[in-house]
Amino acid sequence: MSNNLRINKNNFIDQTVRISFKFNGKKLFGYKGDTLASALLANNIHLVGRSFKYHRPRGIMTCGSEEPNAIVQIGNDPSLTDPNVRATEIELFEGLEAFSQNCWPSVNFDVGGINNFLSPLLPAGFYYKTFMWPASFWEKYEFFIRHSAGLGKSPTKPDQDLYDHQYAHFDVLVIGGGISGILSAKLSAEKGLNTMLVDDKNYLGGSTIYQDDNNFKINNENSNQWIKKQIEDLKKLPNLTIKNRTSVAAFHGYNYLLARENLNDHLSSYERKGNIRQRLWKIRAKKVVIATGAIERPLIFSNNDRPGIILSSSIKKYIDYYGVKTGENISLFTNNDSAYETAISLNKSGVKVKVIIDIRENSNSILSKQVERSGIKILKGYTVIDTDGYKKIKSFDVMKLSKDGGSVVGNKITYKCDCLGISGGWTPMVHLFTQSGGKLKFRNNDNVFIPDENKTPSKQISVGSSNGDFELDDVINNTVKNIKIFLGLDKNDLENLNIKCSKEKQKRNIWLLPSNKPISKTKPFLDFQNDSTAKDVKLALREGFKSIEHVKRYTTTGMGTDQGKLSNMHALGIIADTTGTNMGDLGTTTFRPPYTPLTFGAIVGRNVGKFFDHTRKTAIHDWHVKNKAQFENVGQWKRPWYFPKNGETMHQAVQRESKAARESAGILDASTLGKIDIQGEDASEFLNRVYTNAWSKLAIGKCRYGLMLNEDGMVYDDGVTTRLAENHYIMTTTTGGAANVLSKLEDYLQTEWPELNVYLTTVTDQYSTMSICGPNSKKIIKKIIPSLDLSDESFPHMSFKNSKINNVNCRIMRISFTGEHSYEINVQSNYAKDVWERCIEAGKEFNITPYGTETMHLLRAEKGFIITGQDTDGTLTPSDLQMDWIIGKMKYDFIGKRSLYRSDTIREDRKQLVGLLTDDPKEVLEEGAQLVESLDKPIEMLGHVTSSYFSPNLNKSIALAVVRSGKKLKGKKLIVPMENKNINVTITDTVFYDKENKRLNA
Amino acid sequence: MLSFNSPINEEKKYNDLNIIEVEPIIKINLRSNKREFSTKIGKILSILPPNEANTSSGNEKFNLLWLSPDEWLIYSNDKEMSLDDQTNLEDKLFNEISKLNQGAVTNVSDHWVMINLNGNKVYDLLSKSCPYNFNDFKNKKGSVAQTIVNHINVILHHKQENNLNLFVRRSFSEDLWLWINDSARFI
Repeated sequence: MSNNLRINKNNFIDQTVRISFKFNGKKLFGYKGDTLASALLANNIHLVGRSFKYHRPRGIMTCGSEEPNAIVQIGNDPSLTDPNVRATEIELFEGLEAFSQNCWPSVNFDVGGINNFLSPLLPAGFYYKTFMWPASFWEKYEFFIRHSAGLGKSPTKPDQDLYDHQYAHFDVLVIGGGISGILSAKLSAEKGLNTMLVDDKNYLGGSTIYQDDNNFKINNENSNQWIKKQIEDLKKLPNLTIKNRTSVAAFHGYNYLLARENLNDHLSSYERKGNIRQRLWKIRAKKVVIATGAIERPLIFSNNDRPGIILSSSIKKYIDYYGVKTGENISLFTNNDSAYETAISLNKSGVKVKVIIDIRENSNSILSKQVERSGIKILKGYTVIDTDGYKKIKSFDVMKLSKDGGSVVGNKITYKCDCLGISGGWTPMVHLFTQSGGKLKFRNNDNVFIPDENKTPSKQISVGSSNGDFELDDVINNTVKNIKIFLGLDKNDLENLNIKCSKEKQKRNIWLLPSNKPISKTKPFLDFQNDSTAKDVKLALREGFKSIEHVKRYTTTGMGTDQGKLSNMHALGIIADTTGTNMGDLGTTTFRPPYTPLTFGAIVGRNVGKFFDHTRKTAIHDWHVKNKAQFENVGQWKRPWYFPKNGETMHQAVQRESKAARESAGILDASTLGKIDIQGEDASEFLNRVYTNAWSKLAIGKCRYGLMLNEDGMVYDDGVTTRLAENHYIMTTTTGGAANVLSKLEDYLQTEWPELNVYLTTVTDQYSTMSICGPNSKKIIKKIIPSLDLSDESFPHMSFKNSKINNVNCRIMRISFTGEHSYEINVQSNYAKDVWERCIEAGKEFNITPYGTETMHLLRAEKGFIITGQDTDGTLTPSDLQMDWIIGKMKYDFIGKRSLYRSDTIREDRKQLVGLLTDDPKEVLEEGAQLVESLDKPIEMLGHVTSSYFSPNLNKSIALAVVRSGKKLKGKKLIVPMENKNINVTITDTVFYDKENKRLNA
Repeated sequence: MLSFNSPINEEKKYNDLNIIEVEPIIKINLRSNKREFSTKIGKILSILPPNEANTSSGNEKFNLLWLSPDEWLIYSNDKEMSLDDQTNLEDKLFNEISKLNQGAVTNVSDHWVMINLNGNKVYDLLSKSCPYNFNDFKNKKGSVAQTIVNHINVILHHKQENNLNLFVRRSFSEDLWLWINDSARFI
């Protein structure tokens, strides 16, 4: 282990627990508490990846989620690997294997690096300009473009990890565990409010926790000591939930937030096994405190992207928190006081800062004076104009800035270094604020967008540096003051703290620092991941792009996985400077969720595999499984599709089942049909209004088929309704339509017909239904319920009887969807399996054959019975279905009646349901196939096939179709053009079998 | 006698959490917007239907859950209630209410499956897939909630502290049972 950059004394890293990991195959060591980035830096590794476009060497630049460069591939199994993980965020664990991305064959020698030398030929918009001609070459271009697109490699196998979701409801959610978040959470929880505090790090305290500096004191204690005590107090509060390693990804309207908790990404594979990897919290909070802090800005100068150029505050964190020196020969370049804090930390740790370049002419703060006293050289009013070094910075050039900061003067000075810290000021993290609908305002004196208090959605507040307070006293005092008002608190002990801190007195900001070369000869990077430069932004402006959103898309600035956290402000600044616009007037690009990337696993949670969709099962399901049924998904129901025997194909099974049902007896599990219990003195009137046909005269004990229309007159649902008593009916609906029909009817009762005294109750799951059909069905029912009078006189078609099987009540309906003599038994579902088995047993001597939905479809098609949703599609009226007989023309009204008389619905050339017979009786049409009259082009489509089967009972193919003016075309020859042949068909009646309905009473 | 086949027929124990299907239990759905309805129910069951949303009333034998301004669910506390007694109760309610046009009485015993969940982790479990805010519910005995658990409609009835009955449609019950047991592994 090359441990020469590790400082031994440190409070936050457990140097007693050594952890081995691999980077690009090389075994290295770090300590418990390290991130991959801190461990790599401790091993003196800066070069971790290559940039997207130019494949320039890139190193660790930050210490947090804003990292644009150090994104790595995790895991050595290509089938399960995890791409685009920030080295700055992943905690080191035993056995971690990480690889550089976007480089081949290695990060040290990357063939793609040639792009860097071709960069003058690859400006913004290169792809748009280049690959549009010749048009025929696009597919060739596409091959190469796709090959080079994207960062990292996707895993090739399903994710093996477990993820879950958790809903949570709190009075107050505090986002961010820095000093302002801690104070907010403490005040909230101490008031007795149910509070949640989330922070994306594995510790609380933000940067204050390692701010061990006499210049920053609270109540005469160093701020780090003071915050530690606050955190200890915080942890004792009973109504406070603290979630570390939890990052809020999205802030939706009405205080609904999504947060991802990393539960085992920091554990070794052994410790992870069988546990949840990430949890997506779905949080609703009455009030939200945004304390997301701020991130440091880089500075924009030529070749500012070399490995070893690191944000100054990150250098401070690496030394103070992780005990890692980012170099032995460090210099700093700044426009504010933050770099001086870093210099003090480095000095304390024994790392001498060679020089501080400050673009400000003066700096009289406590910090700058202390640094000056320490003997560190400070060049005021100077700028870095360029850097040197390929895989790591070796030196940088400095020149004096002109008074207006627009150019450089004097002689160039070169300083050698192995690390350059840069600080361009601070950007409040307002992403979540704007996601929630908040609007920003621009503060000119320090060039920041901050939440506009007049345009903040209610029930939320931004505090601390995310609200533009950057100095310790402002952070504490304003947070306490604003939270007190926000939560309606009384006096508290956090008011009037004695706070000592350094105050920044001078500010100077230059978005694009000048160079001694023309801009065309420089490479001042804005977006480090996507390689977009200040030159690209200026080019976009010259080419006419004015809107920040357009410039962003043209140059790809801010479109990397870091979402422009470091680059967007500078892009805006350069646009404002170039166009002479105030930055506040330009606005920002849109902040969209997620704030940091979410895994697909976290989004999906446990709804994978067997939990991908729900499964509804009938009470007889186990019998079907035992008897080898093949299932069809109908909505969420599992319905038996067919019951193959002895290796039968579906066709063979269906042919056998269909014949058996017609020749002897078949049994179908029809439990999935929707069932609605209707009671009330106006039940008959209600049905009159719901269905197209008349219901008032339906006798008690009788059943009737009904068609339900939409308001537009189109068929919506159908089913048989039975009158159980004077004011009591049971309605059946289609399987898929059950829930919608109930909602629609309930809606009508509540909003359109409140005068009707009718009550609806769903009983779909209460009753299981088994339909026994065929010439021997009566004998089977007789065996099960010997006392039941089954004579046609006593129990005719379309009637029902209450009965009992043993002592369990049941309803027997004589209704048929096959055209055969049929009975439906309705029994409480918990007894259904037993009744079904009794039917099978009783039917054995008649070869009773269980059949599934496919045979049911075939049998009803032989009879020309429609299936709503298969033969209808929401555009057919009853008349289109040749069911004019079901429209009660004498009825005052029913849903959809008015629409049936619109000019469009009475057109004679509407598509209408017809039967089809193929000239070749063995030829089975494909459902969905088009029907045409002639093959002369242009071919006019007349309609399509809706149902098609080979009927074993008719020994020929039959089909139903919708055809324009179909009613008038009976006997007409049409053509079904298929891929390899044309099939000749003849339009027929829709009823193919037993037109006289003799079999119903057979 | 026909054999009774409830869909789950199982009990599972986890750390601080027990889950058990409780069947057979008679359940009857009531609907009415008539003034006399409450009096009739009071006479038959010796409980008045609650008028306050998301609450329940009950006695030793029965629970009466508010489902909507004109809808309630009765369920029995007695697993041993005979089928004849169940039928008699249903008939009595039907004859006194539905037949006299005072409302609707519908047997839903097999429509709903009742699952009892008890233990300190009950709400942790439900919060895995239920968006409902249990903060008030868990402290109020007799509370009723109609919500979703893993997208499946359920009725929840607070019986005791950390002890509730969950009603789920029979066809969804096995699916939900698998989900609950899967979630219980991670609480």
